[in-house]
Amino acid sequence: MNKIEPKILKGTRDFTPLEMAKRNLVMDKIRKVFERFGYDAIETPIICPADTILGKYGDEGDRLTYNFDDAGGRRLALPFDLTVPFARFFAANYRDLPLPFKRYQIQRVWRAEKPQKGRLREFYQCDIDIIGTKNLIADAEIAKVIVQVFKELGINFTIKVNSRRLMNAVLKDLNIPKDKITGVIRIIDKILKIGEQAAIKELETLGINTPEKMLSLLKPEQNTKATLEKFSKYDTEEIKNFLDICKNFEIKEYLEFDPSLARGLDYYTGIIYEVVSKDCDFGTICAGGRYDDLCGLFCNEDFSGVGVAFGFERIMLLLEQLGAFKDIQLNSKVLVTFFDEESKADLLNIYSNLIEAGINSEIYYEPAKLGKQIKYADKKRIPFVIIRGSEEREKDEVTIKFMSSGKQKSIPRSQLTTYLLNYYESKE
Amino acid sequence: MNQRSKKTRIALQKTGRLQGPSLDFLRSLGLKFKSNGTKLISPCLNADIEILYVRNSDIPQYVKSGVADYGIVGENVLIEKKSRLKIIKRLGFGKCKLIIAAPKNSDIKNIDDLSEERIATSYLNTLKGYLEEKCVSASLVEINGSVEICPFLNLSDAICDIAQTGQTLKENDLRIIDKIMDSEAVLVRSPFFNKLMTDNFEKLITPKQ
Repeated sequence: MNKIEPKILKGTRDFTPLEMAKRNLVMDKIRKVFERFGYDAIETPIICPADTILGKYGDEGDRLTYNFDDAGGRRLALPFDLTVPFARFFAANYRDLPLPFKRYQIQRVWRAEKPQKGRLREFYQCDIDIIGTKNLIADAEIAKVIVQVFKELGINFTIKVNSRRLMNAVLKDLNIPKDKITGVIRIIDKILKIGEQAAIKELETLGINTPEKMLSLLKPEQNTKATLEKFSKYDTEEIKNFLDICKNFEIKEYLEFDPSLARGLDYYTGIIYEVVSKDCDFGTICAGGRYDDLCGLFCNEDFSGVGVAFGFERIMLLLEQLGAFKDIQLNSKVLVTFFDEESKADLLNIYSNLIEAGINSEIYYEPAKLGKQIKYADKKRIPFVIIRGSEEREKDEVTIKFMSSGKQKSIPRSQLTTYLLNYYESKE
Repeated sequence: MNQRSKKTRIALQKTGRLQGPSLDFLRSLGLKFKSNGTKLISPCLNADIEILYVRNSDIPQYVKSGVADYGIVGENVLIEKKSRLKIIKRLGFGKCKLIIAAPKNSDIKNIDDLSEERIATSYLNTLKGYLEEKCVSASLVEINGSVEICPFLNLSDAICDIAQTGQTLKENDLRIIDKIMDSEAVLVRSPFFNKLMTDNFEKLITPKQ
């Protein structure tokens, strides 16, 4: 019989236990920070009516959205990001939700891309949003969450911030026609990627007369104070108030006011954020901003919101490069070895005690040579191996073999669980 | 709830080796107190200051939360309680050291030999910090008194405790294998101290220019 090739789609991934251990570690840290700020989790469906997803991201976005007919002839789409599904969720439920509403959402999203390095068809995003308040405390809180997440992940970072309001005012002052503002902002957003010369060219093609003047005006000065000074003739109230609140939040040192920061998406209306790593050039690892009319797509009411998406896959790559996972363990911490039938009852009892004490552990299922069991422990990265042979039985002891050093130590049987519960592992 | 009195409050050890020298120190500043009081709060007779007598290990908590403006406490306790209180004066009494000791006849001769061993202590946080610094992993047995008996009882392979003369260690056949820190009594100030109220006390302890 022909076997089916155990294949997966390009741009999608299987995750081994080791990879999942790393991903869960990072996701748990991110989730815990979200929860510390009072965000609750929601989830939205994977398969959605196509009209709730398509047409919200521009033509390029539509092209990259997976959509297809199901057997019942319905047009379906897979979420392109978590923001639009959230806007739909909120529009459907806001009457019953506490307002302002804050939620976090960690889910897969899909892009019908041609897979290449750094571009996947299926990946995770971690989003937080606060909807239903225009107060800048919410915008500053988002920055505080960003600081806390990256601090706890051990990543050195800078949060670039700007005000879309300010940028619009500057562009208006430079006599950029209203219908070209979106185009200009998209080009400014790409400057770091394509370089200043290419940006100037694109701006000229768009029909902008003095692109050099515009770009040099938008360049940040040496410090935030000087930059604010430069823009004093514009309405800098929003960014100033935002920075003041951030000062009270004790996060000002992480912020950099960059008036050239644009964020490509059209729907931003106020403070915008973009986070970059200070350790290596990984592009944006988290981004977002304030939007005033996202839910307007789905309901008649206007709700202002602010939020960011953490680029989980990039954060994983960055942490891998920083060596954050070199000592990662899997779930099992203890292996109770089994090499003679005589000690079976004893071993099962020890195993049961470990489980009751809340220690992640497992027992080897059949009597086998110790070497084989040690190999198994090694493969599963289990740090403690418990041995109870005839000698240990006689003294009512257990021997613990430490896989990292190879050292063995015997202690009274009665102290095994406390020994393990009180074990302090130095991180080196 | 009682309104906090307008006096500067200093937390002191209720019973133990630091109490006498702590009172001597305050008297040396010219402050007068009634002796032998059984009350937990005792007013100073010649200044707007009162003493709060509490357990040694609770002093950092009282000072940290602003219930007391100042405290006199062993530096070792301060570090164990992880309270980042400002030390404004080292007082030179109550000297001791936090050490690690093992039975004389044991194979544990230095800090590296402690890997995977059982260490009994009342100073869990300080010991963890030290082991982290030295890259040593071990099982820590928390015991709140008479730690020195643990190796004899086979509850631990080593101990981490404070020692002054070393007499207790000697009596229990223990040998010092490492010193974590030297400690003495220190005067700490609350982050919430009331500057207006405590000005007089602050003047007393600041050396005259």
